Amino acid sequence: MISISQLTFTYGDGTFRLRIPQLALQSGESAVIVGPSGSGKTTLLNLIAGILSGCKGEITVGSTNVHRLNDNERRLFRLQNVGQVFQDFQLIDYLSVLDNVLLPCRIHPSVSVTKPLRERACLLLNSLEMSQFKRRSVTRLSQGERQRVAICRALLLSPQIVLADEPTGNLDPANAERIVQLLLTETERSGATLMMVTHDHSLLRHFDHVIPFDQFLERTLNADSPEGDA
Amino acid sequence: MKNALYLACMSLLWHRGRSITILLSLAITIWMPITVRMVLDQFRREISERANATPLVLGARGSRIDLALHALYFETLPPADTSMKEIETIDELAVSNAAAISIPLHIRYRTQSRPGIEGAVIVGTSPEYFDFRRLQLADGRMISLLGECVAGSNVAQRMQLRPGDSLLSAPRNAFNLAGDYPLKMNVVGILKSSHSPDDDAVFTDVQTTWVIDGIGHGHQELNSQTDPSLLLKNNTETGSITTSAAVLPYTEITPENIDSFHFHGEPSTFPLTGIIVVPETDKARTQILGRYSSSQATAQCLKPPEVIDELLSLVFRIEQLAWVCSIAAAVVTLLLLGLVVNLSMQLRATEMQTMFRLGCSRATIAMLHGSEILLLLCGASILATAAALLSLRFAASVLRSLLF
Repeated sequence: MISISQLTFTYGDGTFRLRIPQLALQSGESAVIVGPSGSGKTTLLNLIAGILSGCKGEITVGSTNVHRLNDNERRLFRLQNVGQVFQDFQLIDYLSVLDNVLLPCRIHPSVSVTKPLRERACLLLNSLEMSQFKRRSVTRLSQGERQRVAICRALLLSPQIVLADEPTGNLDPANAERIVQLLLTETERSGATLMMVTHDHSLLRHFDHVIPFDQFLERTLNADSPEGDA
Repeated sequence: MKNALYLACMSLLWHRGRSITILLSLAITIWMPITVRMVLDQFRREISERANATPLVLGARGSRIDLALHALYFETLPPADTSMKEIETIDELAVSNAAAISIPLHIRYRTQSRPGIEGAVIVGTSPEYFDFRRLQLADGRMISLLGECVAGSNVAQRMQLRPGDSLLSAPRNAFNLAGDYPLKMNVVGILKSSHSPDDDAVFTDVQTTWVIDGIGHGHQELNSQTDPSLLLKNNTETGSITTSAAVLPYTEITPENIDSFHFHGEPSTFPLTGIIVVPETDKARTQILGRYSSSQATAQCLKPPEVIDELLSLVFRIEQLAWVCSIAAAVVTLLLLGLVVNLSMQLRATEMQTMFRLGCSRATIAMLHGSEILLLLCGASILATAAALLSLRFAASVLRSLLF
């Protein structure tokens, strides 16, 4: 479950302020965030994941108030509870497709790469028609294929919440549908909450909630957003 | 740690060019001081062992180092020859209770080179030498007749010699029409390897080297029946015959002609290039050293360990120089390594950011970098050790040849 209450986040120079009075998603629910570029969609995902800190108000995931955790606790919380699909994939070039998917295990302090986890990684890759590339370097993949690897990585440890920042941004409509279905199926199976950012309005119908984001943004100046939001 | 090592391995393999460059730089930095230390230690050990095992060396007055190196390593030539008279002197001392064994050395010639194979030094000595140096036969038998020789293990391997083969001595001067004929020596034995300069020498009786020297020779029988054109003078009263240069000496000693070999001159004047003296008691040693300590003495008697220590002081200076160079190279390498690591971290900032965003701790990221450096250091150490061991096989002999 994700619960946000009286959240205010301001970037250092004060030109950008995100204000969310109330937002709640139950376990197993899915929500899609839509809004113009620079409206703070990625910022919200980063705040929920504990990557960004220094906000006012409360963000609770399950029973954990994310912003009451210290740096180390937030990092561990992120590793154990949050699956993330980044806008720019952020895959590791020197690892193969399979090793990129298994990366969360390799950096996890208490999870090791076991046979079941390998099998799960292969299953995820197979479900996205990527199993034939599992030994291939990610540098030899197309943008769409890289996107799919990033999604498999996010889903590997069956996280409590999945935060996907435009996971279908580089895919054709058919693959975009398949990705969304995979995300929904996997999160539903594990009872995880899915929050996804997209500009593709044709996908909105798959989600339980649609969150139009422009209502949360306050700008004090007519300046560009400092973040690289799409 | 296992995961960090795995990721480090993958990263190093991916950045092959960078990894190999760093690996080689580190390996060379580690290899240099290790090799210098190992080679010089081996050199010191080898040179000291042989010197310590050689009680006294006797030879013509002049350079002490040249004489010691000549008698111990068959390198360099002594400033002048000594003679068999010194052997007699030692024997006389032995008779008067100063028991000592004297081993003659006549080392002036080499065997002829073959295409691509350098000739070996011919050591003319007595059978006592083999016992003294504990040299054993690997094949064949010891020398017993004039014109026979045994080959050191390296020489035998290099020239593919077996008992029954023959070796030709190399004339010192090819344009000397009056003598210096090459002598064909029969190889009757091959010595076991002793990991010493003896492995690179051919041993024969000192009399055989005198034959090579022209002091002894064999030729057809000359008497009143000989073709008069070969005789310059025939004194029938005294029986002495003077022949012309047309009488050629035998260039091979065979069972058929061995009896015709003879030496001209007084045996006590026959040349030696050095004598190894093995006193049996301290008293004998003191007496022999005393005998040759006089400034009037015609020869000098050396304690090889002392002479070699003088030489090693030079090696010590070389070692110090090598250490300074190694430290300078290490500092430069470490600075460059620091630069490479720093640039590499900047290039990999995105990767680290990804790790962090996924939840990786700073300690894990540091461990990842540490693992890479550790792997590189381990690889470089293994490479450096292997290279050092390989260098050790050749460097000590190279160093010896440079120094001598």
